Amino acid sequence: MLCALALTVGFSINYQLVMDAFSGKTVATPVGKTVPPATGTASSVVTNAYPDLVELEELDELLAEGALLVDARNLAAYRISHPLGAVPMPLEELTTRLPRFMQQVPRDRVLIVYCTGFGCPDSFDLGARLLREGYRQVRVFEGGFPLWRDEGRPLAEGLE
Amino acid sequence: MTRLSAIVYHLSRLGLAAVFIYAGFIKAVDPVTFAGQIANYQILPYAWNYLVAATLPYLELLCGVLLLLNQRVRPALLVLFVLNVIFMLALTSAIIRGFDIDCGCFKPDAENRTSPLMALWRDIGLLLLMIPTWLLHDRRQPAEHNK
Repeated sequence: MLCALALTVGFSINYQLVMDAFSGKTVATPVGKTVPPATGTASSVVTNAYPDLVELEELDELLAEGALLVDARNLAAYRISHPLGAVPMPLEELTTRLPRFMQQVPRDRVLIVYCTGFGCPDSFDLGARLLREGYRQVRVFEGGFPLWRDEGRPLAEGLE
Repeated sequence: MTRLSAIVYHLSRLGLAAVFIYAGFIKAVDPVTFAGQIANYQILPYAWNYLVAATLPYLELLCGVLLLLNQRVRPALLVLFVLNVIFMLALTSAIIRGFDIDCGCFKPDAENRTSPLMALWRDIGLLLLMIPTWLLHDRRQPAEHNK
């Protein structure tokens, strides 16, 4: 009785969320965070685009084809350990790092954004921002750094 | 029921109520983050993490409120006991598999996150707190009825 009441209330309140999850839609939308509006002219085409997800198996294929890993975690976490070849791009340093990144990385390169694993919204925030800046193939790796590390993928330490 | 056992009963009851109301509320307001924390355990299929995240906080909240109001104490304790045992099994599985994840017990905090081992110790503490609440609730009833 107790359980049924609580489960019914919870399910009713979060009906849409659960339905979205079971229908395979991306539901890990950013919570409580906003991305600063993009500046410049490159963002005008896809203002509301949202990055698609990528699973580990496909991630391997994309990386073999030249995709670039982009780390949305903070710099301290990046310095301790990060996937080999990943570029640091913490949200709080976007204004300083993004212009240089955009000069060096062509818009048609596949970007794989990740942060601290399932539920972390920063990768979606950063992915949406990169799409608005004109990058056409931005994917989010939801398992993030924890899954990469736990699957025994190559790691590196230090800053760049 | 002696004065001391009454104090112990109410303190443990209110302590448990506070913990589970806080835990339930903080997860109920952000089910997506909580779903992510459950997904980090890599136990359930992807969508099921969201179903659990959508419902579990309300179970914790309801049981916590019942403990707070001193109503249906034993059924609420039984549910929380079962939940706690499930949490401990999940934490143990995360520890065995060597996952360095946030336990997902309360609000996610990158600066002060709780490791699975710390959370396991805390859950043992909660289980220990449930014992006097359960036992003393039984003894409390005749005294309450005799008033």
